[in-house]
Amino acid sequence: MTTARNGPPPSIASSFCGLHFASPIVLLSGCVGFGEEYTRIEGFSNTDVGGVVLKGTTLEPRLGNPPHRVYETPMGMLNAIGLQNPGVEHVVSSILPALDFGETRFIANVCGSTIDDYAEVTRRFDDSPIDAIEINISCPNIKEGGVAFGNVPEMSARVVEACRKVTGKPIITKLSPNQTDIQTNARYCIEAGSDALAVINTIMGMAIDAEKRQPIIGNVQGGLSGPAIKPIALLKVHQVYQVAGPLGIPIIGQGGICDTNDALEFIVAGASAVGIGTGLFYDPLLCRTINSGIGDYLARHGLEDISGLIGSLELPGPTGAPEVC
Amino acid sequence: MTTAETTSKSHRGTIFVEDAEILEQFTHPADQFVLRVRAPRIAEVAMPGSFAHITCAPGLPMRRPLSIMRADRDEGTLDFLYKIVGEGLGRLSQRRPGDSVSVLGPIGQPFRPDPERPRSLLIGGGVGIPPMVFLAEHMAAGTDSGWQPLVLMGSEVPFPFRLTRVGEHRGLPGAASAAIEDLQAKDIVSRLASMADLDGCYRGYVTDLAAEWLSGLADKEIDEVTMFACGPTPMLEAAAAVARRFGVPCQVSLEEYMACAVGGCAGCAVAVRTDDGVAMKRVCVDGPVFDAEAVFPPAA
Ligand SMILES: Cc1cc2nc3c(=O)[nH]c(=O)nc-3n(C[C@H](O)[C@H](O)[C@H](O)COP(=O)(O)OP(=O)(O)OC[C@H]3O[C@@H](n4cnc5c(N)ncnc54)[C@H](O)[C@@H]3O)c2cc1C
Ligand SMILES: Cc1cc2nc3c(=O)[nH]c(=O)nc-3n(C[C@H](O)[C@H](O)[C@H](O)COP(=O)(O)O)c2cc1C
Ligand code: FES
Repeated sequence: MTTARNGPPPSIASSFCGLHFASPIVLLSGCVGFGEEYTRIEGFSNTDVGGVVLKGTTLEPRLGNPPHRVYETPMGMLNAIGLQNPGVEHVVSSILPALDFGETRFIANVCGSTIDDYAEVTRRFDDSPIDAIEINISCPNIKEGGVAFGNVPEMSARVVEACRKVTGKPIITKLSPNQTDIQTNARYCIEAGSDALAVINTIMGMAIDAEKRQPIIGNVQGGLSGPAIKPIALLKVHQVYQVAGPLGIPIIGQGGICDTNDALEFIVAGASAVGIGTGLFYDPLLCRTINSGIGDYLARHGLEDISGLIGSLELPGPTGAPEVC
Repeated sequence: MTTAETTSKSHRGTIFVEDAEILEQFTHPADQFVLRVRAPRIAEVAMPGSFAHITCAPGLPMRRPLSIMRADRDEGTLDFLYKIVGEGLGRLSQRRPGDSVSVLGPIGQPFRPDPERPRSLLIGGGVGIPPMVFLAEHMAAGTDSGWQPLVLMGSEVPFPFRLTRVGEHRGLPGAASAAIEDLQAKDIVSRLASMADLDGCYRGYVTDLAAEWLSGLADKEIDEVTMFACGPTPMLEAAAAVARRFGVPCQVSLEEYMACAVGGCAGCAVAVRTDDGVAMKRVCVDGPVFDAEAVFPPAA
């Protein structure tokens, strides 16, 4: 597989839905606030990533869930933030103007409890400098919304359709792993006008304090993220790529990416960009390491950029992945 | 407003990640440890009340928050005091001098001494003691106020410090005759409280000891007092109640489970009363120090 290549060093930049990504890395919604929080750390820069997805935003402000909201579990963590956010009006009028759009692509993450909510929040972002809109149909924490939309392909499609009508900006639909047939859901969302897919959101779980016989998370249940979910996320990206790849719909692969090799596995499975959330909590300066790791890999494999790597998985048999184990 | 998102850029580059060498790890009774690491960039700017987020051991990726107890700018070192609670701090306690730990810091809004109210009453309970040591030594090193802080510590297990016998201090019961040697050496008055019959300690809650001292002050003196507290939640609630009873402002340092510790995840948010109603504020970057009245409002 290793081929020497002459010429300029490989580039980790790419085009994603027509947007210039300086790196395939996208910082994930809910992990980096509204884009400025991690810049507190010396050595961290938004210029090191292709895009930054802002915290899930709703029509009205939300206070979110009571503590505890996060808890470490083996090789991962549970979270139930409850979509704490100041509402789309505040985000558009006070937060976006302070972001430096020269640094990276900023992507909104849209949530709602009715289809009209989703459409209205999307419409507000359409009239803003935001670069793209991610629709969080898969948010697992909100009792009155997320789960139902993301788990029923027809409902997912209706949300995407409604948002599509009100924006010309790229739409990324974020799929939930908490459903039986992610391929059908992906197909419906693409047909409804989604330009890209994000795969996957967190997987629902819980933690219990046996001494107190109480749930540890204030919301009782929370979304599991981090390395513990990586094998599941990889399989989902692989499955969704079979639907989305032939249609030219790019995927942001995510779930437990913590190093260069994790990122490469997702790209090989079919991701055009890779999302990092929990990994940043472990190592806030991870992005630079992964960028140079991907560059080294491309050079070693004689590749000019990541395009030749996306979905390059070589399956064992002529029929592709076996249906049963 | 429901949240406190960061929009200005003045905070950029204020928190450092250092691979810090462990210089010393002292074991004290009841699973308590004092850890000294070399982290010069953090030590340079740390302030009393700020904390660090530490990777305890390989294979346990989530960091653990620990208050900074001492930051020595000249030596470039940080001291932490911790008590094993579970796996994270248990594994940190097994690390040896020469090992390296990743330290993210300094994080958070520090304590804010009030020059108008220079009589500082510092109350530390259990693992809430470390920021009080930092604050006391920091105040004592400054010359402006003319007042030395009074430090009251409470613990139900032996104190992880060398103690010394001292005489009576105005307004404090004679039974409280033990003091922390390091603080005493810096002319900082300290007294200890415990329910566990520890030698030289006032028998009772540290907040009772605080109330006893406050009740011995004249009204004019009370007007010069500020309280600072860190410790378990029931102790902080009691401190807030004492402060309210005497009409004294009180700052408390809170704990909450954390993931990022830099304001990104809102995982550490707690309800805080503001002029605009209740807001969810992040303990990591909006705190950990809050006004007691805002986080422990009087019961309705
Ligand atoms: C700002 C701040 C400063 C702190 N300073 C000190 C200190 O100086 N000395 C000290 O001994 N302890 C301090 N703590 C508490 C310390 O962080 C916890 O005891 C520690 O995280 C427990 O980890 P563990 O793996 O040993 O325990 P476990 O109970 O196994 O931890 C499981 C998970 O819950 C979290 N957790 C459990 N208890 C707490 C807690 N009280 N606060 C925050 N997270 C918790 C852990 O971080 C971990 O993610 C501080 C906490 C905060 C928020
Ligand atoms: C603390 C936290 C908050 C999150 N909030 C959101 C959110 O608001 N909207 C959303 O679409 N996903 C949210 N997510 C999911 C992440 O964006 C991401 O899809 C998931 O964590 C998997 O990636 P990771 O394993 O790299 O963290 C959140 C995840 C975490 C850990
Ligand atoms: S721990 Fe992430 S915001 Fe405080």
